[in-house]
Amino acid sequence: MAEKKVVVMITHPPFGSIYYTEGLRAAVGVTSGIDEHTVDVLLLGDGVYYALNNVDRKDSAKYIQTLTGINSSIYAEEESLKERGINSKELSPFVRVISRKEALRLLLDANHTIDF
Amino acid sequence: MALYLIDKPKGEIALKMASLDSEAVIVLIQDGVYLDPDAYGKFKEVYAIEHDVVRRGIKEKIKDRARIIDYHELVNIILKHEKIINFA
Repeated sequence: MAEKKVVVMITHPPFGSIYYTEGLRAAVGVTSGIDEHTVDVLLLGDGVYYALNNVDRKDSAKYIQTLTGINSSIYAEEESLKERGINSKELSPFVRVISRKEALRLLLDANHTIDF
Repeated sequence: MALYLIDKPKGEIALKMASLDSEAVIVLIQDGVYLDPDAYGKFKEVYAIEHDVVRRGIKEKIKDRARIIDYHELVNIILKHEKIINFA
């Protein structure tokens, strides 16, 4: 199988469900094996709450460490952040903010998208 | 041309995102049939799944804003599109 570009979208907030941590785990899973797929994570809607710097990441820090270590990007959509009153100073350093238009381009350019 | 498969929990962000895509084709599925895509923008085509519409008793209500299709038609529409973005 040729290398694929994959985007994992996370639209659920952290805690109260397994979506965000399973999404991050799946993103790591995409990169495993010999196919060398590339993966980026896109935080959308309530998923952007995960971008907050003070989020407890005991259960997911290892995924972030792995993803950033292999040059995967963790994006947060700017409009979703604004709609929830989150400013850029509150974000974790590993998060890259992109506009809705840029997020859409990311999805359209991907070979596959997976939503959590 | 991308096909957006949309259920209600992710409906708002999905329709906001799709509204930026002038070629977006929308399929409302499960509780997604309660959504009103017109509130988010103009879309090239909007479909709703008949099974989901009928079970929720909203066939009359939705017929002006979406073309009602069955699962066989959905499969054909999916096969016609190279890009499927799932928000369901």
